[in-house]
Amino acid sequence: MDNLFLPRLARIALVRDETPDTKTFGLRFRDPVDQRDFRFLPGQFLELSVFGFGEAPFCFASSPTRPELVEVTVRRTGQLTDALHTLGPGDEVGLRGPCGNGFDLPSAQGKDLLFIGGGIGLPPLRGLIWNVLDERERFGRVTIMYGAKTPADLVYKDELQEWAARGDVELLVTVDRSNNGWTGNVGMVPTLFDKTELRPKTTLSYVCGPPVMIKFVVQDLLMRGFADDAIISTLERMMQCGVGKCNHCAIGHRYVCRDGPVFTFRQIKELVE
Amino acid sequence: MAPSENHPVSRGRLCARGWNAHEAPAWGDRLTRPLVRRGGRLEPTSWENALELARASLTTLIEAGKDVGVLGSARATNEENYLAVRLARGALRTGSVDSFLRATYQPLVDGIVAVANGRAPAGTLADVEASDFILVLEGDLANTHPQAAHAVIKAVKAGARLVTVGCARTQLARLAALHLPALPGERGFLVAGLVAAAVAEPEPAGSPERPLPGFEALRGSVAALPVSEQLRQVARWLAQATRAGILVGPDGGPPERLVREGTAIATLAAVTGHLGRPGSALLPLPARGNLRGACEMGVMPHLLPGTIPLTEATAGARLARVWGRAPASALGLTAAGMPGRVAGLVVHAEDVPAVAPTGQDVLEALGQTECLVVLDAFLTPTARAAHVVLPVASFAEGEGTITSLEGRVQRVRPAARPPGEARHGWRALSELSAALGLPFPYRSANDVLREIGEVVPAYAAVADGTRDEAWGTFTSPPSDDREPTLRPLAADRVVAALPAVLALEGVFDWGSDPLVSLSPTLCRDHVSRRKLYPQGLVQMSRRDADGLGVRHGWSVRLASAHGEVALPIVLCNELEPGVLLVPYAFRERVAGVLGGRSEVPVTAEKVQ
Amino acid sequence: MANEARTISKRDVAGWLAALMRRAEVIAPVAAHGGDVAFAAISSPEQVVFDFQNSLHPPKQFVLPQTDPLVVIRRNGNGIELEPVRDAHPRVIFNLRSCDARSLAFLYRMHASDLPDGAYLARAENVTLVSLACTVPCELGFCTCCDAGPFLKEGTDVQLTDLGEHLLAEPGTDKGLAMLSEAGDLFRPARPDEERRRLELEEAAKRAFGAETCHFASAMRRVSTGRVPEELWGTMSDWCLECGGCNFVCPTCYCFSVKDMKQDGSWVRCRTWDSCQYQAFTLEASGHNPRERRADRIKRRFFHKVSAQYYLRDGTVGCVGCGRCVRVCLGTTDMPAVVEAIRKGAWNG
Repeated sequence: MDNLFLPRLARIALVRDETPDTKTFGLRFRDPVDQRDFRFLPGQFLELSVFGFGEAPFCFASSPTRPELVEVTVRRTGQLTDALHTLGPGDEVGLRGPCGNGFDLPSAQGKDLLFIGGGIGLPPLRGLIWNVLDERERFGRVTIMYGAKTPADLVYKDELQEWAARGDVELLVTVDRSNNGWTGNVGMVPTLFDKTELRPKTTLSYVCGPPVMIKFVVQDLLMRGFADDAIISTLERMMQCGVGKCNHCAIGHRYVCRDGPVFTFRQIKELVE
Repeated sequence: MAPSENHPVSRGRLCARGWNAHEAPAWGDRLTRPLVRRGGRLEPTSWENALELARASLTTLIEAGKDVGVLGSARATNEENYLAVRLARGALRTGSVDSFLRATYQPLVDGIVAVANGRAPAGTLADVEASDFILVLEGDLANTHPQAAHAVIKAVKAGARLVTVGCARTQLARLAALHLPALPGERGFLVAGLVAAAVAEPEPAGSPERPLPGFEALRGSVAALPVSEQLRQVARWLAQATRAGILVGPDGGPPERLVREGTAIATLAAVTGHLGRPGSALLPLPARGNLRGACEMGVMPHLLPGTIPLTEATAGARLARVWGRAPASALGLTAAGMPGRVAGLVVHAEDVPAVAPTGQDVLEALGQTECLVVLDAFLTPTARAAHVVLPVASFAEGEGTITSLEGRVQRVRPAARPPGEARHGWRALSELSAALGLPFPYRSANDVLREIGEVVPAYAAVADGTRDEAWGTFTSPPSDDREPTLRPLAADRVVAALPAVLALEGVFDWGSDPLVSLSPTLCRDHVSRRKLYPQGLVQMSRRDADGLGVRHGWSVRLASAHGEVALPIVLCNELEPGVLLVPYAFRERVAGVLGGRSEVPVTAEKVQ
Repeated sequence: MANEARTISKRDVAGWLAALMRRAEVIAPVAAHGGDVAFAAISSPEQVVFDFQNSLHPPKQFVLPQTDPLVVIRRNGNGIELEPVRDAHPRVIFNLRSCDARSLAFLYRMHASDLPDGAYLARAENVTLVSLACTVPCELGFCTCCDAGPFLKEGTDVQLTDLGEHLLAEPGTDKGLAMLSEAGDLFRPARPDEERRRLELEEAAKRAFGAETCHFASAMRRVSTGRVPEELWGTMSDWCLECGGCNFVCPTCYCFSVKDMKQDGSWVRCRTWDSCQYQAFTLEASGHNPRERRADRIKRRFFHKVSAQYYLRDGTVGCVGCGRCVRVCLGTTDMPAVVEAIRKGAWNG
């Protein structure tokens, strides 16, 4: 029987600065067999080992349709992420996963998709977005809404431009506070709702971001006629094992690391704290 | 971790710190080799070299007429603290020996003893648990002293009446029959009011019907104090109780005020008939582990081991005989006075910024020390600043005794060997003293304990008692049949010239103690709080926050006659309106506003 | 129980233990420092205690140590090298009580279900349980309310019953049967009067419990449907001192954290016991804490132990009625007290 806690070794192949405190790391497994056989779904997460500092959960920020590198986007919040940010290409990390349930992409085929991300909430959606764009013909309209505190806080700045330039995607970006040179929308994410045509009956919406943002966005969507099982989000909890044993992430008898982190709003309502 | 159900105090129950105490010695960065500073860095060396360097540097300083001092610790054993005093008064010839936490505890004891005539803290937690009335004087015991809180909870469950006094409605206050609010610093004033109420009752103990010396003068001194119906009720409950437990939380106020508080508290016990009554407890609570032991071993600049006056001839002669050298009987510097003042400093098992009232700011003064010698099991910030570091065993490997708040002396037996070249603390301190010219006859911690028994009267039977009994033995304070001596009480009031009073919460930051900071399970809350509030925080009642128009997390500017500071607020519904508390861990941030005082009137306004 | 009960004379038990010790680490209750009885690996059969109320500390630590090494992480010339830790040492836990045997079956299920925890299972699958049925109820236990004693029908490899001069041994599994067979002549088939005596002892033990002391059913209903008033959790939480003792001595508690310990230039990733009663248990890196209040944490503990949702998931209530939480609680919030408060809707302190 496998040791559930044994990571696979991986090397950092790429580091990209996203914002002053956030970086994206592209990882490649040290063992070519791992690299070849590793499978994951957008919405799942991995447990990343920064040797000497411990382990922490991060969502997959890349799509399984582009498996050359497994990407995570990490903001500095403490000792482990500080240490991670000092690492560069060639440095070794550990990777355990995939953990969790992932987005249910097959059931989204044929539907219109609305992605709503706030700040550091875009990374879990990015993997899903690229997956969808790589299989574009399977889905209806694709709309991406993204907001951050300031223009400097926007992640994936180059990709945002790529998405904006595509004809088969509608991209709406906003910032809470602008600076010189920003010509786009200013205001919180819900202000973007009136800038596009929403079709609640045919659309699945995926919402990721700070809890306060999710709360207001979901309220707005419900008011506009979205069903509570057509609104999908990810939950975060303190985690340790990531495999449903340690009980840290339990909400009632559900485990965010096993039954989630992806939940519909209907499921979230049913969770008993 | 496997506590024994047969332990007379714990009965198999521990607090969170107890259940996880095994982590720090295993997970923490351990000192395993002596270190000396060369070219700005600490480098490993042999014990011989390290001791020689310490000897040479300290001797040079002494010969140049400079001050040297020694800091003992509530984290160390009795043997280690005794040897720290011997190092100071015997080898270094200085009276500057102290521990930072002493001032939060010993003055209370002194004040109690002044009334109780030698019958110092009396009673046990078992007495408290069996009491029918309990008075808790300030402190969130559920957090600071869980075993004491356990005794209180059990007593209340069995029907005891609890009264709490303090500036916050703590967890225990919610279980109380009555909570008496008191501003920070006014605990003594409230107790004086209780005394006034008690002496106004018919036939209080000490009254003409049941005379105690000093009663009339006492009654006169409290006659003018306002006495509310609540105070009267509490005094009555106390007087009517068969067994009463009085628990006194540690305090960071000026020592003279603490002495007066201790006197008031003992007076209250006396006039309600509980002072010295079997089954009634009067227990000042030491802020950390072996603080009572440290004090009784003489880790104080103004008393000899056994809390005997410096000039007491018999004690001095006894020490001279036992040490082979007369002790330096000068009055030395206090712990707070040493950093920056002494050119040479030996620190045993203590991280100075963690316990100094000035917090991190003390590192600057510490950096001016010309020769800093540190003995510790862990590489603390103080060790990092040292010129010589001597690695010693932690409590998990140590041998020696510790003295609980009840005066129970228990042996610490090694559960493992000290790692690397670390030595037992008693041995390292002895070797340092020997290097400085004071040889030692000890071959074990028990030898040290026997010597303590010769020198500290209350410990005379301890060496045998701890060997024979599974769970240690009580110290035996000198028997004294004298009645308590009542004295006039002087009540301290905080002059509330401004709308709010700012004070520090607690006297000790567990988060900076290695037991917690090096334990992965225990350190999480403290690390998180420091991370979330790098600038510190101030706790405020919702009523005050509403009055200022601020919400949780918003900043307020606090201003006193001494300074001002802006801090984010944390709503704390347990606080009395008008009371602002800053956790002890963030004391540096309000040092300017407090201006060296333990509480200060302030104005508060929203930061726009 | 398989109908293959055997009997061993008490005079031969030392020989049996000696034989067991040759093949496995034998863990049994022994007299410990201070007069306690505690489970420990024995070095001689004479250490084993038969006449004892249950130990304060459950034997779970022998399959789930408080600090449990999982992976060794080394840095060498090639970079990082990882080595999973696997402890498959054969062990016998001897003279554990029925409640503890049930708890080990529970823990096994927790670690084997869903994603099997290989490290735990390596240890657990190499443990043989020889439990000693309780002919006299212990002072604070309530195993009859949890189907965990005083005698077991299943869940132990061998069940011993003290018949006076002899022990009756009932194999409960193939592993147990094999163990008894290996002991050969030390055992003989049980006589009918001995089997009758064993049944009598069980009936007497059950009767001696008297009225039930922990009514889970109605508490379960309320906990599972959110019908416990929030104020009640708040009131109860004032009587809890957050020591975590209940979690550490509870034989069915297994919450843990995973941390890397530095050791001689390398690291060891360890599982360490944790407590859902500690504030930091759910504290997130952002500082947000969904269970900031002690009331929420106490509510969580009893949901996990007593809810129908978990009962359906686990096949049993999360309590074996050993009574240890009553002994160890630094406050007054043990299982029977809280269950009663939930039933009655009121707390008595």
